[in-house]
Amino acid sequence: MPNGLDIPFLIDTFFVALTGVPIAMLITIVSLLIALPLGFLLALTRINRMPILNQFSRVYVSFVRGTPVIVQIFIIYNSVPLLLGTIFEKYNINMNVYEVNPIWYAFIVFSLNTIATLIEVFRSAINTVSKGQLEAAHSVGLTTAQAFIRIIIPQTLVVALPNICNATVNLIKATSLGYAMSLPEITLKAQVAANASYNYIEAYIAIFIIYLLICSLVEYAFKRYEKRLRKYQIAPAA
Amino acid sequence: MLEIQNIHKSFGETTVLSGVDLQIGKGDVVVVLGPSGSGKTTLLRCINFLEKADKGEAIFGDIQVDLHQASKKQIQAIRKRTAFVFQNYNLFNNKTVLENVTEGLIIGRKIPKEKAIEIAKNALNKVELEDKYTAYPAELSGGQQQRVGIARAVALSPDIILFDEPTSALDPELVGEVLEVMKTIAKEGTTMLVVTHEMSFAKDVANKVVFMDGGVVVEEGPPKEFFENPKEERTRKFLRRVLPDDFIYHI
Amino acid sequence: MEKYFDATYIWESIPALLPFLKVTFMVAGLSVLFGSLLGLLLAIMKLGKNKLSQQIAHGYTTVMRCTPSIVLLFLIYYGVPAIFINFGINLNDMSSAFFVVITFSLQFGALMSEVIRSAYESIDKGQYEAAVSVGLSNTQAYGRIIFPQAFVVALPNFGNALLELMKEGALAYTIGLIDVMGKANLIIAGNYNSHALEIYIGLSLIYWVLSIMIEQFFLKLEKIFSKGRKDLKTA
Repeated sequence: MPNGLDIPFLIDTFFVALTGVPIAMLITIVSLLIALPLGFLLALTRINRMPILNQFSRVYVSFVRGTPVIVQIFIIYNSVPLLLGTIFEKYNINMNVYEVNPIWYAFIVFSLNTIATLIEVFRSAINTVSKGQLEAAHSVGLTTAQAFIRIIIPQTLVVALPNICNATVNLIKATSLGYAMSLPEITLKAQVAANASYNYIEAYIAIFIIYLLICSLVEYAFKRYEKRLRKYQIAPAA
Repeated sequence: MLEIQNIHKSFGETTVLSGVDLQIGKGDVVVVLGPSGSGKTTLLRCINFLEKADKGEAIFGDIQVDLHQASKKQIQAIRKRTAFVFQNYNLFNNKTVLENVTEGLIIGRKIPKEKAIEIAKNALNKVELEDKYTAYPAELSGGQQQRVGIARAVALSPDIILFDEPTSALDPELVGEVLEVMKTIAKEGTTMLVVTHEMSFAKDVANKVVFMDGGVVVEEGPPKEFFENPKEERTRKFLRRVLPDDFIYHI
Repeated sequence: MEKYFDATYIWESIPALLPFLKVTFMVAGLSVLFGSLLGLLLAIMKLGKNKLSQQIAHGYTTVMRCTPSIVLLFLIYYGVPAIFINFGINLNDMSSAFFVVITFSLQFGALMSEVIRSAYESIDKGQYEAAVSVGLSNTQAYGRIIFPQAFVVALPNFGNALLELMKEGALAYTIGLIDVMGKANLIIAGNYNSHALEIYIGLSLIYWVLSIMIEQFFLKLEKIFSKGRKDLKTA
């Protein structure tokens, strides 16, 4: 093993890996867009103890939080083609399930995963917004829907924001597991580059720096946003 | 018995105490009055080394200490002769009522366990909490918690008990029970230094009232004289503001 | 390659996988041990007065929070031997468990430092004042009053960190550790990659049950330690 780092290679790999950032971000954003509303709705079913949906959410959250993401990825990656294959066969759709772009699997896995996280985040956030707020909204003649949109949700968001930030950072980190679905994101690109020359250390330092940059940026953005939100309202139960 | 000389204390730019002297004799009940921010609480905390004074001396019977640079040993020695009753009770949340009282006896004073329990039970009975030995602080009302706080202090049989606004965190209807307990132990001859806003306690129980404002002692004297015939203009102004009209008239 | 679903593979995989939990537990146990020590050290640095060590500890925690486990794992796996070779020490033949433990100790340490710090800070400073006012020494005040309360506050977060560690630990297979996850992959390879789904479902059931057990265990512990202390539970 050569002593010292191959700095030019490190820099090259850094830029190669950088080309994986858009895919990682795309997965992150799509998953969040799907998970935010669904997570919120399912959190409501938990709080209002809606039959069936409540139990379903509970088991769902417990499973996703109780198993490694990598195992979830393998399950989805192996089961979806099986399901699709059966469906395509039944309806005589002429399409090869193995030609599906792996990004669709990524959307599914990471959305499902993030929904579970956000159910818990929203559940505890909604609980901290006092019941009095809803009653007060009703008392001035708002409907329940109006009360939620105008009063409850804005307050919930402020409370939930730090945890949503955490969930986002975890999501970005989890996209590094996209290699298991042959997804050309940051980690896989660097690995491929390193395979040719066995400069693994340099490759991993390069992506280490990239993740550090992305996560710092995301955390900074969330902090800025939180500050802006808090200007309009002081968080309840601070 | 306790003499404080020339205490100074600032927090950053703000001067809180600028040269306070205080004499307390054995069996005295000294009440410190004054508007918020006058330095009363800080004075008490400096005496027990919960804050470090910038300057000042304490003469405590045969011990004389520099309040700014006391050694660990001196601090321990003074703390063993004093007890503190906190505004927010500060009961040990992880200990039962009885353990709250025995903790200082067994660990701090090295008193054997059986003996400590006996002392603690006596103290708790005095504050009428004989049915709460095994309760945890979170299960008690504020008034009950503060009575435990007082029992914890009394059990140590210190030379002096320092009370830091013992009733100001309580709901109005709970203030009475705590003042009642304080009155009882005062009558037993306990030396007490009390920071409070309860004028009636100062008037009825204290044998000396100290009025502080702006970090200095403005006026001190026996309660009768202090309330009926205050000498300083600042004292009169303060009393006019805090006393109901009929209070002065009544005296 | 056969592609149909056969549930019997799930039930058959579980007994084949279970013995390898031993490896999972050993690696996790060592990481918890070393990670907690590191976390304690970092927490002391964060709570101390020295500005520089505060920044170092906070910086370390941020870096760890931002690094995916798999990246850290490979960095350690390739990086540590490369560093040691400069000192003439050859680590290339070390078992992969060695690198896994280093990786997850580093990660767990960062998590624990936050758990310890926030638990410590949740204890009102009046508790300390009351302790010294009744004559307890500094050490006694911490040992008898502050730490027991902070411990109860830290318990649920410690449980969460442990769950996190166990799940992230599944990635150890990527550097060749044969724990429960590694064994699952071996079984699948042995089946010529057929019935992977069933094996992974069996594996996920093992992890799921394990997580529920850990969760329940910590709920129990919390109940035992916080009896009668309502304010501690919510703190």
